[in-house]
Amino acid sequence: MRNHSLLGKIGIYAAVAATCGLLLFPIYWMFITALKPANRLRDFPPEFWPENPQWNVFADVLNSQPFGLWMWNTVLVAIATMILSLTVGTLAAYALSRFRLRGGQGLGLFILTSKMLPATLLIIPLFVVFRSLGLTGSLWSVIIAQSTLIVPFATWMLKGYFDTIPPELEQAALVDGASPLGAIVRIVLPVAAPGMAATALYAFVISWSDFLYARTFLTTSESKWTLNMGIATLKGEFVTDWNVIMAASLMAAVPIVGVYLFLERYLVGGLSAGSEK
Amino acid sequence: MATIEFNQIQKSYGGVQAIRDFNLTVDDGDFCVFVGPSGCGKSTALKMLAGLEPTSGGEIAIGGRDVTDLGPGKRDIAMVFQNYALYPHMSVRSNIGFGLKMHGLPKAEIDRKVAEVADILELSDYLDRKPRALSGGQRQRVALGRAIVREPSAFLMDEPLSNLDAKLRVQTRAEIVKLQKRLGVTTIYVTHDQVEALTMATKIVVMRKGVIQQIGSPETLFDTPANLFVAGFIGSPGMNFFRGPVEKEGDVAFTRFAGARIKLAVPAGQLPFDNAIFGIRPEHIRIGGEGAEIGLTLVESLGTEKILHFQTPEGQEFNDADTAADHDDERDASSMLARVIDDVRYADGQAIRVHLPEDKIHVFNPDTHTALRAASGQVNT
Repeated sequence: MRNHSLLGKIGIYAAVAATCGLLLFPIYWMFITALKPANRLRDFPPEFWPENPQWNVFADVLNSQPFGLWMWNTVLVAIATMILSLTVGTLAAYALSRFRLRGGQGLGLFILTSKMLPATLLIIPLFVVFRSLGLTGSLWSVIIAQSTLIVPFATWMLKGYFDTIPPELEQAALVDGASPLGAIVRIVLPVAAPGMAATALYAFVISWSDFLYARTFLTTSESKWTLNMGIATLKGEFVTDWNVIMAASLMAAVPIVGVYLFLERYLVGGLSAGSEK
Repeated sequence: MATIEFNQIQKSYGGVQAIRDFNLTVDDGDFCVFVGPSGCGKSTALKMLAGLEPTSGGEIAIGGRDVTDLGPGKRDIAMVFQNYALYPHMSVRSNIGFGLKMHGLPKAEIDRKVAEVADILELSDYLDRKPRALSGGQRQRVALGRAIVREPSAFLMDEPLSNLDAKLRVQTRAEIVKLQKRLGVTTIYVTHDQVEALTMATKIVVMRKGVIQQIGSPETLFDTPANLFVAGFIGSPGMNFFRGPVEKEGDVAFTRFAGARIKLAVPAGQLPFDNAIFGIRPEHIRIGGEGAEIGLTLVESLGTEKILHFQTPEGQEFNDADTAADHDDERDASSMLARVIDDVRYADGQAIRVHLPEDKIHVFNPDTHTALRAASGQVNT
């Protein structure tokens, strides 16, 4: 570490504080909005801490709405999407990274361009396909639809990571008697853990925050609603309880933080250090 | 322990032929080194032997068993990679024991064998460490341990020393040779460093552009190189080359070096040329006596040993991609070197007499670049 002067240190801390403040402000605003009574939300000048915080709003959300069910559906969708995207993405990325495929590079770019298509463009064809397969109203529709968005990017993230792993590692495992799949499972995947964790987190977050697909494919089956879908229904035609929506949204964000904290240990790079010279 | 045979091995990538007509038999217990400049196909040959690259034609046999279509795990070989390829997420113990585990050995036996190998390689204190907590030399030993613990029929080593510093390299080189002698396992070792090849091998295979140039013991390659390429590649500093006329008197042939006439060991009948390419090793050039007079351009002193640089006589320069481009000493193509060990002090610009002993002069066909010899005529490659 270089030695910074006191002034330099103050500057750095100030910059970090400013950045954090900027990033955390919306969350803070959600939090105090949730705690304010509905009739005080539009006060000007605004209150930066409610005089009379309404802590019971969180319990109200849980009691008045099927919040647990939404949460459960969202968890199912996010985990299934994560597993599906990671499985497909890992195998595709490994093939793109390791095998000399005819037109492999073109294929890789093609996969990436498919990521450029907006979800709204895909939604009608997907709806037609899911309807003919009888999947509309099922969580599978959302899982598959989200995976089509996530897999291309996951493939590229993982390919980039696999490219950094020397192929000699698998070759050594093959010479040691491992099968090709064994070499991937026992050597490549553990070494690629940071890349896998980052990709898993990406898939989880994207899936968790999906609204469009859930809204399109699940509208008619209330028992399959996800959090975002459910929270959106809290917005009424004439009256909207923003404090309730904010409380629900805050609670909806908690699992993401949990998943991040769990995966964080794998996100630390440099795990492959030491395999080579 | 086993013999290894390459029979008419070919390898091509698309339209590019990387290896052509590779034929080689390595005897049981041999230490065979594949040497050549980068891109000569030596690593590809090794990978084909390991089963990591498919062959495009021909057969490979290990211990008399055709392994051409077998996977790497079924060939009963162990390999040490240039970058060691240690499994970074496993401890030293698991790294060394991985192959045994894959072959289904009981845990107790794996532990016993790993401990034994760790003892041989002085790794016992590091068994629970991860590779990243080891020094370069220790990592290298783990890679060796992973190979020897399996007691395979052959060791394959792909430039295993190139990542070590000079001192450790020399030390490890000797250790590998000792270990190989002790275990008696047939070893194929790939390097681009001809010094490594000369010091370690019982048999050297010199390769260039996918073709074997010469196979032989270190002495054979040094004393009787088959062609210009081998002559220039083996030895450090490399052989000096010069062009010279071929003068004949009856059955005796002569050439001239800086005006001085030199009798050739190759009879005139074998030299149907007006001029030829000649080679002499720096250590074979004699200083003093009645040789040709030349001026020193540079004197490199290493104590008693000195490398004297002088200009190749005008009109006698031999400049050819065959020798210059692939050699590791960076000499100007038009200068020659003499390596002397004496107590004389030489100075830049000083005029000295150099004598080229006739029995030390190599003669090469100016068209084909193959070596010509007195007794047996052209040397077979």
